[in-house]
Amino acid sequence: MGKIEWAMWANEQALAAGLILLTGGIVGVAGQFRDWEFAAYAIAAGVFVCLLEYPRGKRNKGTSVERTGQYCFTVCVKSFGPLTRNYYVRAFLHAAICVPGGFILATVLGCVCLGIASLIYLAAAIRGEQWEPILPRKESARKPVGESIKLPPQNPPPRPPAEMRRKRAEDLEAAAYVNPIAVTANDD
Amino acid sequence: MALSVRSWVANEGGKHLVLVLWLGANTLLFMRTFLLYYCGQQYHYLHQMLGLGLCISRASASVLNLNCSLVLLPMCRSLLTYLRGTHTVTSRKARRLLDKSKTFHVTCGVAICVFSVVHVSAHLVNVVNFSVRYSEEFPSLNVARYSGEDPRLIILTTVPGITGILLVLILFLMFTASSYCIRVSNYEIFWYTHNLFIVFYIILIVHVVGGALKYQTNFEAHPPGCLRANQTNPDKTEEESGQAEGDGWSCREEARFQPNSPETWLWVSGPLCLYCAERLYRYIRSNSPVTIVAVVRHPCDVIELRMLKKDFKAQPGQYIVLNCPSVSSFENHPFTLTACPTEKKETLGIHLRVVGDWTERFTDLLLRDPGAESEILPMVQQRRYPKLYVDGPFGSSSQEVFNYEVSLCVAGGIGVTPFACVLHALLDGWRHFRLRRLYFVWVCRELQSFYWFAELLCALHHKLWKENRPDYLNLQLFVSQTDGLQNISEERYRPLSSRLMIGRPRWKLLFEEIGRTNKHKRVGVFCCGPKGISRTLHRLCNSDRYSGTTFEFNKESFS
Repeated sequence: MGKIEWAMWANEQALAAGLILLTGGIVGVAGQFRDWEFAAYAIAAGVFVCLLEYPRGKRNKGTSVERTGQYCFTVCVKSFGPLTRNYYVRAFLHAAICVPGGFILATVLGCVCLGIASLIYLAAAIRGEQWEPILPRKESARKPVGESIKLPPQNPPPRPPAEMRRKRAEDLEAAAYVNPIAVTANDD
Repeated sequence: MALSVRSWVANEGGKHLVLVLWLGANTLLFMRTFLLYYCGQQYHYLHQMLGLGLCISRASASVLNLNCSLVLLPMCRSLLTYLRGTHTVTSRKARRLLDKSKTFHVTCGVAICVFSVVHVSAHLVNVVNFSVRYSEEFPSLNVARYSGEDPRLIILTTVPGITGILLVLILFLMFTASSYCIRVSNYEIFWYTHNLFIVFYIILIVHVVGGALKYQTNFEAHPPGCLRANQTNPDKTEEESGQAEGDGWSCREEARFQPNSPETWLWVSGPLCLYCAERLYRYIRSNSPVTIVAVVRHPCDVIELRMLKKDFKAQPGQYIVLNCPSVSSFENHPFTLTACPTEKKETLGIHLRVVGDWTERFTDLLLRDPGAESEILPMVQQRRYPKLYVDGPFGSSSQEVFNYEVSLCVAGGIGVTPFACVLHALLDGWRHFRLRRLYFVWVCRELQSFYWFAELLCALHHKLWKENRPDYLNLQLFVSQTDGLQNISEERYRPLSSRLMIGRPRWKLLFEEIGRTNKHKRVGVFCCGPKGISRTLHRLCNSDRYSGTTFEFNKESFS
């Protein structure tokens, strides 16, 4: 029923997955477990994913709600052009990023969550969705008023001659008249 | 305006008290479980093996138990409606707390997520410790099969491990689909993922059955640490071994361990059964179909729907949930009742504004004119209305309008619907309520919106005039957009046109006027409209008043 925008959900998931990856990486590095280099990678990957996913995209219809302070991130992400606009790229990027997280225990969950997010992005890409940046709306004039309204009228309004216009109370039917020239709104 | 302590306590005190109690319960549970595992004799060996991770994971698990059981209770809507309706049982303060049930649910949900993160992190450390500190002395205490087993393998081959991963995934799906943004734009994603809760609870009950953590059953006969004292340690100095022998520790038996008995089901099964019973009750109650009696089209994309349902009783201010299988089998949409069934008139009515996909298709089905193409004979057209199911009624904060001596009702646009029902009830009889004066402020963008209830407002106004209580209803209408029509020209709506003002209301002046004319009274403020208005009103209710009047804020929200 209705068009569901999968990309919005995938965006929330990817942001949460980035945070989970970051947390897992911190736990892995702090515990100094075996193969803690993977945990260090997970910290970097988590930060990157969070930065990429922080700016929300514009909805197809309806009002888009921004995340606080996302404007600078929007500008950065927008500058990559088609790389960030296309959701296929994002899906494969997340799938590639999440793989090294599966090697140590601390980051396994981040890997799985990011994998799910990449699947949803793939679904969004197949349905043809794209990332549009939310830019501040330029304050345009409310209703563009036609230029001709600023000039005084050049011609008198169209009406029939005076005898016809005089009100004849006894013959109301005939007193009504149709304008000879159509009176329409000024479309200039 | 400055914050007033009295007003703040009257408005926010109850909510914050409940919050403090809830935080206290969580903290108490956390500390108690933490200390049990930190200092308890029966967990001494386990604590030695796992360290702080054991205490943190168990403490967060007990907090999770509490919150998983509490999170279901605010969602038992029929139960809450029943509690709200029983006036003699609960006081008005307690009923006001029921308004915040959804907020409480969200708070418990966030706590579940936060403590899940803590619990999972601690258990990840535990699993690594199980692998690294494999114990040769107490083989039954181990979860790993051999020293240095890959921690990922430990997780994937034990019941708590696999169920834990599934629980985290389900929680991840539920949490990411619950943000405000997704609820507003794609409600279906939120609804379907949130219904995975039943899978979550079943897996949760299985999660603790694995019995990975064991406690020592015979710590009197085998005081923890006594084995090491009996062993001769060549590296120990003379004083240390002398001290240990002098302490008088003696091991009479080998340490015996038993798994912890699962207690999650104790916490969770009660609320889960209650919630499932409630859903079943709602399903059975809504299964009886509803007859559509009339469909009326109003200006500004509003449709009025009049229906008949057997054994349906409702109070003014309550809302129902509609389901129309011909439009969408799984979508349910809430609408406030604008006319409750009474003895004189048995129909129930709603006003719905056409604003999204579902309402558009629904109104198409309702207003579709069958046989409009046939011009042969005007036969009696059998209106084939779609089948409709109604669930409800559910309570809301607007039911309290009659329980204050003075009430201020502020409506924005279509938010007037709960108050329309209130006005209908007053039209039937106003003397037996506690309400003595009603201030009604209705702000709309366009003038035509007032025609939705123009008849009702004028009828009530005339009735009150005839019964010599013209000051009962104080009506103020505002048209906020200044470039549309500004005049209600019909003669029969004269009471409305004389009370119509252009522009936005000035709330501070209104509050001061109400305060001056109702000194030392408690005024109920009811708002149903856009966020900007309700925020302003909330702030004004909490701020200083000179006339000793207390304003209690009640908000109705449609989402």
